[in-house]
Amino acid sequence: MQVFLQTLIGGVTFGAVYALVAMGFSIVYRTMGLVNFAHGSVVMIGAYAASTFYMASKLPFAVAVLVAITVTALIGLVIERFLRPLENKDFTLMLIGTIGFGAVLEAGAVLVWGATGHAVPSPVATGPIDLAGVRIPTYSLLVIAVAAAATGLLALFLQRTKRGAAMQAVAMDHQAATAVGIHVGRSNAMAFAIGAGLAALAGSLIGPMLYVNPTMGGTLGIKGFAAAMLGGFGSMPGAIVGGLAFGLLDSFAAGNFQEYSELVTFLVFAVIVMIRPTGIFGETTVNRA
Amino acid sequence: MKRLLWLVPLAVAAWLLPYGLGGYAIHVADVAIIFAILAIGLGLTMGVAGQINLAQVAFFGVGAYAVAILTTKAGFGFWTAAALALLVAVVFGMLVGIPALRMQSHYLGIVTLGLALAFTNWVTNAHIAGRAEGISDIPVPPMFGIDLSSGYLFYYVELVVFAIALAFALLVTRSPLGRRLRAMRDDDLAAGSLGAEIPLLRMTAFVLSGLYGGLAGILYAGLIRFVAPESFNIANMFLLLAMVIIGGRSSIIGCVVGAVALSLVREALLDASGYAQLGYGLVVVLVVVFAPQGLAGLPGQIRSLLRRRAGGSRAQLGPFRPYGAAPASSREAALEVREVTKRFKGLVALDRVSLTVPTGEIRGIVGPNGSGKTTLFNVISGFYDPTQGSVALGGRDVTGMAPYRLSLRGVARTFQNLRLFEDLSVRENILLGLDRTRTSWIWRYPGLPWKVLDYERSLHRRGEELIERFGLTDVAGAGPRSLPYGVQRRIELARAMAMSPTLLLLDEPAAGLNGEEVRQLAEIVRSIRDSGVTVIVIEHNMGLVMSLCDQVTVLSSGKVIADGRPAEVAVHPDVVAAYLGDSMSAPTEATAEAAAEEATR
Repeated sequence: MQVFLQTLIGGVTFGAVYALVAMGFSIVYRTMGLVNFAHGSVVMIGAYAASTFYMASKLPFAVAVLVAITVTALIGLVIERFLRPLENKDFTLMLIGTIGFGAVLEAGAVLVWGATGHAVPSPVATGPIDLAGVRIPTYSLLVIAVAAAATGLLALFLQRTKRGAAMQAVAMDHQAATAVGIHVGRSNAMAFAIGAGLAALAGSLIGPMLYVNPTMGGTLGIKGFAAAMLGGFGSMPGAIVGGLAFGLLDSFAAGNFQEYSELVTFLVFAVIVMIRPTGIFGETTVNRA
Repeated sequence: MKRLLWLVPLAVAAWLLPYGLGGYAIHVADVAIIFAILAIGLGLTMGVAGQINLAQVAFFGVGAYAVAILTTKAGFGFWTAAALALLVAVVFGMLVGIPALRMQSHYLGIVTLGLALAFTNWVTNAHIAGRAEGISDIPVPPMFGIDLSSGYLFYYVELVVFAIALAFALLVTRSPLGRRLRAMRDDDLAAGSLGAEIPLLRMTAFVLSGLYGGLAGILYAGLIRFVAPESFNIANMFLLLAMVIIGGRSSIIGCVVGAVALSLVREALLDASGYAQLGYGLVVVLVVVFAPQGLAGLPGQIRSLLRRRAGGSRAQLGPFRPYGAAPASSREAALEVREVTKRFKGLVALDRVSLTVPTGEIRGIVGPNGSGKTTLFNVISGFYDPTQGSVALGGRDVTGMAPYRLSLRGVARTFQNLRLFEDLSVRENILLGLDRTRTSWIWRYPGLPWKVLDYERSLHRRGEELIERFGLTDVAGAGPRSLPYGVQRRIELARAMAMSPTLLLLDEPAAGLNGEEVRQLAEIVRSIRDSGVTVIVIEHNMGLVMSLCDQVTVLSSGKVIADGRPAEVAVHPDVVAAYLGDSMSAPTEATAEAAAEEATR
């Protein structure tokens, strides 16, 4: 039971990060129909940016995270500008173009920070809380709280502000949105920047839990992507539920299959999406002839 | 095949190449050929068949690891192990391909990538695969006393395998199978309605992917005689993807050029590999944005630019040459729809629709927008399964049959919004319709390739005849997108007739046509009917319906409200009500009294 609870806590912590990654994917996908395979690499850049500022300048962790979010949001704007001709068009080209951007970011990270990577000290100094024999790391609580707060803020933005509503409108029908006077290009750019900001948040949170290195983006991106698929591509509640589900799948696979956890995780994932390709909150669409 | 003559000097050059190369250079050439074979496989699956397969490097790894494990752990000879490894790679390809039956595009991409990661995870940790250190002592492949541990001699083995692999890939792309794969990539629904078995074709694409991946893996194991996990990781998948994209994903020759070029560039930039990685990424992004067809597409892009500047001549639609009259053979019903209901969640799109169309008739189906006309077509042609009821074709029950089966049984259709394959030429669109083989016919590709070529030639002959009959000779080589709307409608009709159907379903064939084109259309449809084909037309142009159709069925809110000769149907009160609304019906005494009462109150 204790082992189970311990695994559960680990799963929820990673799940919260995957949910942030998946939300970043989803907000970009629903507003501009762009499947951003470079998202994982943006997460990696965020992790590097936050940890470098945190360790080099002795800034408080929160400030370092804000700096990282700004840096990656700017990178997001650059990527969006480049790929604008492909939005809502050929999926294959978009996919390959964003994979190309991912490679650029990864190679850039190797050039700037070197290929080896670094460990990040935990920003929370206190030891784990002991609750009936289950050790809950304080940093886990911080991660879950920050992820929840970010989710809440994003929901508020999308539902309560004019810009958020405009973004929702673009997501539903970008032509109709243009017709009612929404600047679709600007709205898309903002969505992309928000997506990249979420990626940076996820990256900076996961930094102290993993070893920060240039190739971490690949795995994290795929896991976040898989989480978005489990929840239902493009759905925000789906991203949260999918992220948590994938985090649990991941940590229980790690608990039971040790080094083969990745193998088990992706096999289980493949089987689940075979059974329900649209995910939990995905709409089944009817083919129109 | 004459167009391939330019390959001959290249082949000679490739044969003589080792005489001019040093020991290390020949190793580089050997590796480049392996990547070229891999790139052909990825080009076939992703470029030609449109299946986003990010597991190609894993198939490569499966081939190499299978050889390594079978030779060092199970004691097999190299070539026995190679044959088994090929089989394993193909089976692995099929397993990875199963998700493609349920999902496409980015969904498929992420699942295949996940499965590739699962493979890397397994080889890094499994004891039998040598863990992170890999497997070293793979034996030198024996060959009649020739020492294949020499990179020079191994080069010739690779060259022969490569030539065969390339020839087979070219055979596939330039024949009915390749055309169906490309049609499936463009629009799988329309391809299905033309008789392409989509699930089997998708599996075929993954089998090819596994085959080429396995082949490359075997050569790799024979050349390097050492396998380790990092040779088959995501970074190499990206390199392979870059090769295929830069070369041109839908052209096999382009893929080969991209693979060879990038292999050489990678070797040249070995000292600055960090910057090289950055460069590949940038080049891929630039190619995707500015030259989506890669190097192979550049000549075409330049040509179309020049033509635009020159101002092309407008293609002319020739006259239609009527079919010979062949009175309908049987008098039994060509189509019988019985009590068909189709529900979409809460919405009842068809409500117990029954319809009998005798052979050799032109039946019109009219009704207001949203009355269920196209849904009815979708049920008849197999796109939708009816919720209730049955459909019979010439007396045989065909309810719920897949579109490709119905197509092979003689149901052809056109689409309301035109579904021509835009990346294929007009001629290829028509040849797709003419090809009536089942996909299982493809065993002839490895078995009897010359039969495939014979069949392709006969298709072309019949294709030219049909193109001429429909007056499309001038536009046969063009892409459909570049042609005027009226011509595209004519092409879709010709493509449907290429299937030699017994039942032709036309969904708003006159939409967007001008008066003269509508007149020609009526003439063509009459000639088709006279040749013994039963025709069902959905149409809003009432003039055309009245003059063309033998019988008219009227749908409203998913129900049949009238059925009969055009003149009878046009004055049917329910029909008038459905089209013009209840208030337009002549006031009766009762309604007049009620109105008067309303006014005095």
